[in-house]
Amino acid sequence: MAEQSIAGSTGMAMAADSDRSARARLVIALLCLALALCVFLSLTSGASDASAVRVIRDWLTGAVPADAAHAARDQLIVYDIRMPRVLLGVLIGAALSVSGAVMQGLFRNPLADPGLIGVSAGSSLGAVAIIVLGTTWLAPVTLAFGTLALPLAAFFGGLSVTLLLYAIATRQGRTSVATMLLAGLALAALAMALTGILIFMADDRQLRDLTFWQLGSLAGATWPKIGTVGPVIVLALAAMPFLSHGLNALALGEATAGHLGIPVQRLKYTAIVGVSAAVGASVAVSGGIGFIGIVVPHLLRLAIGPDNRYLLPASALLGASLLLLADAVARTIVAPAELPIGIVTAVAGAPFFLWILLRKRGIVDL
Amino acid sequence: MIEARDISVAIGGKRIVSHVDFAARPGEVTAIVGPNGSGKTTLLRALTGELSYTGTVSLNGRDLSAMKPVEAATLRAVLPQSTTLSFPFTVREIVRLGLIGGRSGVLPGEDARLPERALARVDLDGFAGRFYQELSGGEQQRVQLARVLCQVWAPVLEGRPRYLFLDEPVSSLDVKHQLIIMNIARDFARRGGGVVAILHDLNLTAMYADRIFVLHRGQLAAAGSPQDVLNDELIEKVFDCRLRVGALPAASVPFVLPQSAA
Repeated sequence: MAEQSIAGSTGMAMAADSDRSARARLVIALLCLALALCVFLSLTSGASDASAVRVIRDWLTGAVPADAAHAARDQLIVYDIRMPRVLLGVLIGAALSVSGAVMQGLFRNPLADPGLIGVSAGSSLGAVAIIVLGTTWLAPVTLAFGTLALPLAAFFGGLSVTLLLYAIATRQGRTSVATMLLAGLALAALAMALTGILIFMADDRQLRDLTFWQLGSLAGATWPKIGTVGPVIVLALAAMPFLSHGLNALALGEATAGHLGIPVQRLKYTAIVGVSAAVGASVAVSGGIGFIGIVVPHLLRLAIGPDNRYLLPASALLGASLLLLADAVARTIVAPAELPIGIVTAVAGAPFFLWILLRKRGIVDL
Repeated sequence: MIEARDISVAIGGKRIVSHVDFAARPGEVTAIVGPNGSGKTTLLRALTGELSYTGTVSLNGRDLSAMKPVEAATLRAVLPQSTTLSFPFTVREIVRLGLIGGRSGVLPGEDARLPERALARVDLDGFAGRFYQELSGGEQQRVQLARVLCQVWAPVLEGRPRYLFLDEPVSSLDVKHQLIIMNIARDFARRGGGVVAILHDLNLTAMYADRIFVLHRGQLAAAGSPQDVLNDELIEKVFDCRLRVGALPAASVPFVLPQSAA
């Protein structure tokens, strides 16, 4: 009996000990399933009655559908409208969530976000400049790069803010996070002011483009756009897992991370370039989609803990799933019109953000 | 061997440490003492490469400034005064971080169990699953020490001695745990490693240190064995306090010294 209880208690201790990583792996497996489900739902639902299942079945079996015209229309809807949109949602949801998690690790602050330090604002400025000035002052740029001009401008806008920030906040090879946060706020304000001037100059048609783009939407998804931004996002996301050990160590402070053998400057540099690439690419195609980068990592930290080895992949999966769900809401709630997805994520995300803040200040204890 | 020559550190234009020579041998506990603001922590940060300095620092004969972070991490581990966390890591997750950069020196299969062993060593058996942020200051300090121990578990690796840098390792500990921690340091040195510790308690210092470096206003005031260094004149000059070494209080006044530990 005594022996049994000792064995039992060690067994329990072991379970409690390995609890979090085992649980994290389980959560990641479940999130894979959830993402598959969200992809399926997004492919099969929409304003038209096109059946993705039938299209895919026909494609798989090589069957010739009875109503050829109808089938061709369905095929068009599924292949050229829903599929790129779903893929874009997955890419952007993953990019924004992982970027948020990485920034939070880098700044040692659960409220840090690419939106906060001006990366998104810089990307927006680049994109708005192309929309408004693309036919006048910046005509050579649009002429040279065609449809690539907008994503490129957004990417370079985000990257220049980040590099500027880095230059401001780095002295003698060390980056001060506090300076970087404050400088980021200032640069974001400046970028927004310049964006405001451009909006002031815009004509009516441009204004409509701008408004829709600024609120964020996946509606413009096409295969060529995915071909442009997809590789950038995939590359940036692929680099992030290599940062997870370093980001974990960074939780103890920069000095201690260095003592543990982490090349801290290189870690910060990689994280910053990766995040601005992922965010710049996302902003370029979908505009400003807020709060995903804060909400997703925060929820996951509650569920599986802050270990970045699990947090980063889990964020990618949950971010992709949530963005697909938000897009489904955006597409269907006012069908046949659609809401900008940025409104959906803001309506759901902003109160959540406030809840985190209040909880941190101990005002509400939920 | 840790050797530092002519170390000066200036922060924001103000010189905190000037022209200090320092050495710590493997097999010894080397203590740095001095009043508040005398530059102890700044000197330690220069010796660990955390602050930029003028002068030279070498670890086992190699120039510190030429080492990659991971190379330095295999040779020495550093315990800061206190560590705050912004995310809810568990104690085990923190201690395990000691294993990511350097090399513990245990057999490959034993690494996984090392965090538990290190925690038992600092008298935190059974704390592995607790949240770091919920522990008391003294417990947090011991968790960090367990992490540091994991990083250089074997005091000698491939024939080369390794080092522990401890910034006030016992500052927030009760007397029992002060002795436990100082005995860990003593043991690390006995097995061939080197220990550099900033200490405030002169009695503990006299008991555990082989060599003492005394800092005063950023400069080296004295260096040597406890017997040579701890005398009335030095204490009055450095600490600005008229104390007498070895004087007993009146017979009716109780006093408790760490040396009396059985």
